[in-house]
Amino acid sequence: MRWWPCCGARSMSFRASAATSLRDLARERYQRWLSRRLPPARTITLEQRRLFIFPSRNGFLFMFTLLLMLLMAINYQNNLAYGLTFWLSMLFVVAIHFTHANLMKLVITGVRAESVYPGQHAEFLLRLSCQSSRSGHYSVRLLWPDCEALVDVPADGSVEVALHVKVGKRGWFKPPRLRIESLYPLGLLRCWSFAQLDLPALVWPQPVPSERPSSIDEEEGAQGFSDETGIDDLAGFRDYRLGDPPRLIDWRSYARAQPLQTKLFSAPVREDHWLNWSDFSSGTDEQKLSWLCWLALQYHGRGEDFGLRLPGAEIPLGGGDRQLELVLRALALHESSGNAGE
Amino acid sequence: MITGDQLPRRALTWLIACQFAVIVPHLVRVPLWVVAVYLGASLWRLQMHRQRAEMPSRWLRLALGITASIAVLASYRTLIGLEPMIALLLVASALKLLEAIRDRDGYVIVCLGFFISVTHFVFSQSLPMTLYALACTLLLVTAMIALNQRPGATFTRHEPLLALKMLGLAVPMMVVLFFLFPRIGPLWSVPSKSGAGITGMSDFLKPGAVSKLGRSAEVAFRAGFDGPIPAMPALYWRGLVLSQFEDEAWRTLGWRELPASERTLVRPETTGDPLRYRIVMDPTQQRWLYGLAYAESETAGVLEAWDFRLGVLNPLESQFGYDVRSWTGATMQPQLSAWRRDVETSFPENINPRSATWVTALRSRHPDDKSLVAALLDHFREQPFFYTLEPPPITQPDFVDRFVFDTRRGFCEHYAYSFVALARMAGIPARIVAGYQGGEINPLNNTVVVRQFDAHAWAEVWYAGDGWVRVDPTAAVSPDRVELGLEAALAGEAGFLADSPISVYRLRGISAINWLRLRYDVLAFRWQSFVVGFDSTRQIDLLQDWFGEIKVSWFVAVMLGSWAIVLIPLTFWLNRQRVAPLFLPEEKRFVAVTNRLQTLGLSRAFGESPLALLERVRAQLPGDHPLRGDLEAAVGDLYNRRKAD
Repeated sequence: MRWWPCCGARSMSFRASAATSLRDLARERYQRWLSRRLPPARTITLEQRRLFIFPSRNGFLFMFTLLLMLLMAINYQNNLAYGLTFWLSMLFVVAIHFTHANLMKLVITGVRAESVYPGQHAEFLLRLSCQSSRSGHYSVRLLWPDCEALVDVPADGSVEVALHVKVGKRGWFKPPRLRIESLYPLGLLRCWSFAQLDLPALVWPQPVPSERPSSIDEEEGAQGFSDETGIDDLAGFRDYRLGDPPRLIDWRSYARAQPLQTKLFSAPVREDHWLNWSDFSSGTDEQKLSWLCWLALQYHGRGEDFGLRLPGAEIPLGGGDRQLELVLRALALHESSGNAGE
Repeated sequence: MITGDQLPRRALTWLIACQFAVIVPHLVRVPLWVVAVYLGASLWRLQMHRQRAEMPSRWLRLALGITASIAVLASYRTLIGLEPMIALLLVASALKLLEAIRDRDGYVIVCLGFFISVTHFVFSQSLPMTLYALACTLLLVTAMIALNQRPGATFTRHEPLLALKMLGLAVPMMVVLFFLFPRIGPLWSVPSKSGAGITGMSDFLKPGAVSKLGRSAEVAFRAGFDGPIPAMPALYWRGLVLSQFEDEAWRTLGWRELPASERTLVRPETTGDPLRYRIVMDPTQQRWLYGLAYAESETAGVLEAWDFRLGVLNPLESQFGYDVRSWTGATMQPQLSAWRRDVETSFPENINPRSATWVTALRSRHPDDKSLVAALLDHFREQPFFYTLEPPPITQPDFVDRFVFDTRRGFCEHYAYSFVALARMAGIPARIVAGYQGGEINPLNNTVVVRQFDAHAWAEVWYAGDGWVRVDPTAAVSPDRVELGLEAALAGEAGFLADSPISVYRLRGISAINWLRLRYDVLAFRWQSFVVGFDSTRQIDLLQDWFGEIKVSWFVAVMLGSWAIVLIPLTFWLNRQRVAPLFLPEEKRFVAVTNRLQTLGLSRAFGESPLALLERVRAQLPGDHPLRGDLEAAVGDLYNRRKAD
């Protein structure tokens, strides 16, 4: 994105501001044209119509040298100087085809996007694969606004590239248009393409420490912790719940063809908590989500079970990483008064 | 800094190799310290690469640059001219290496390298030079590829081969462009070569001037004959006419010294078929050309001078080819003007007293000009004169006396000088002609290769009615010189070829080498006359031969056609490698069915298995829908096939 046309990523900010000048309008038009021409997809194959090519800065330096060489040939009436000049000019023409072919049919697949908190960098895992058994794609540069990678894709093989992009606010984060470019083999021409990968990253709410609402205090008082008991002291059994660690399962009773039972130990007592949207009377919706997020993390950190009650959604009680993920996802995607992320 | 903008390590090695490759042909014309700068810069850069040295600071680099420019100025005493310019380019390229950190710096070095390669051709367009430049180009293109490799990528045989492949593909289009590109004249006058290091005739003759050429085996020119080649003794390649004796040397008359009536050439009457041949000359930095008397040329740019010489307006900076027609029997200048007779008989009277007395005595016995000339030649023939490349030095001014009566050992210029002086003392118009005599005949392509050691000086004497007639006093002393060439005439004298210690010409006694040498010479002549000597006249001839008439539209069509012939197959070939792996027939059929389903709004979701799709279709389409049956069959085939695999 060092010269025309600019990368899609930069224009995101432009789109936000009103297109005041004609220049912005043109940029906007160009971006819209690009979006139409290059629709988002999970897997993108670089085809003829997606590839752009133009001489690079070094290419212009080379052309300037060719001009000087031609003047030398004319002024000294030197046929071999003419020959060398023409040879290199035609090399430039041949290089157009080689540079173009280097990106042709490169397949880019969005594999996975990491979920993160707002303002963090999410890892996007991309797979670049080559469909040809004869020649790979060399020195392919992937550019996102604040990160880039340079990779070789071997013939008939593929490479995985992790790129880290800073995400925006809560909700689905769609990565900006990825710019793929290569100057290989001679560096005189730059061939590039854009890929709008359909690979959104989930952005959770920003956790914010909250004052515990009154209902939680009550629960805390009712159940509490049992003191000074060793970890190994068996306190009783309860029905197995999804996510209970296997070492706590009472295998002996299971062998007697009884339903699965989970052993309970007296320290610390696992408690059930409900994260309740309606418990918070003050604060904006986003604040409430942030508090809930913080609480969920707290409970998860202490290894306690928790459930979530949002307007229109409920996640039953549960524990472990899986439960945390479900809760955070629900919080991230919660639509409140039209304030959801993109 | 962005990844990949740094100069890859392997590229550095290639760049240094390129730099040394392009400087080699210039070694003969740049001062030795330039090489020292090269070595120093490369070593420093390598130490930087090994992290044992720092990059020189901006001020140090600036100081180095200024010092180098001053050093060039001091070495050449000027900055204007081709050699100083090349020295500056070379030094700039070497110093650029010190600050080559980013890939862009690498491109500056590569582009400088290409430009320096072009300057090689200004000095030599020979076949070996061309091959060397090809190698340099390959090296430079490989360096460009290395500059674009991912840092850390291993360099393989693949890269030079890729460079070779790309350059090879560019050749056909280059050839077409070479023949079609209009050859226009120089746009402005350019700094010329200094002429240092060129052996050849000079425009004045002093004893010793020609004999030093006997030490060199360099090619002066090649002449390709259309018909049979005349016998060796007839091959007198006339170059300069030296009429004026001044300051103890013979020189040519300048155009300004002539009266207006003498400036134009009076063409002799010519009868019969001329000898037709084409001469390709290596650059001489001089204005005169060579030909067999009497010679005419229709090649553009060739002038015919009043004394039946051929010449060009500007010194020959580069190789020059011209077609000649010669009528060896033509009478040159049957009438002599009084002014010219006066010039051609003048010789200082106060020197050479012994010769003057002797000539006066001889004249009284031979009143006829022709018999006097015969008597003079008889004297050379009968007295103990010797033909040698290393004559004893003779102090001026009584050169003729000392040579004719005392030392009697000399090279062709001694004989020509003495003979013309004696003839003029007798009142016969006579002058020295300098040029080449003989040459090596290459029967393979009917050419004569004339080398520097074939340089010769002889005389021309004017007889009333016969005009200027060639007289060679050397032939009287040493007939072998004219009939067999210099080497036979000298019979193993040490000075012969002393300046060409490694010339292949020395090895021509070995028959296999001679066989190769003659064939190489055929190739070299073709190269010189067809490629190097290709000019606007030949271009127009060639294009008229091919296209009948010259039309711009034809040119454009041929040019684009040549591009299409190369580039369209190239594109196909490059993309052929990029075809996705072929689908199995079952897979193709499944894809075809899903495409038809898409028209009904039932598109296959990302990652949806064929069975899942089938489930969905079964739920949404009625049982008798034809596509449903098709999909069931296609999916069935697909899974059966996979099981079989």
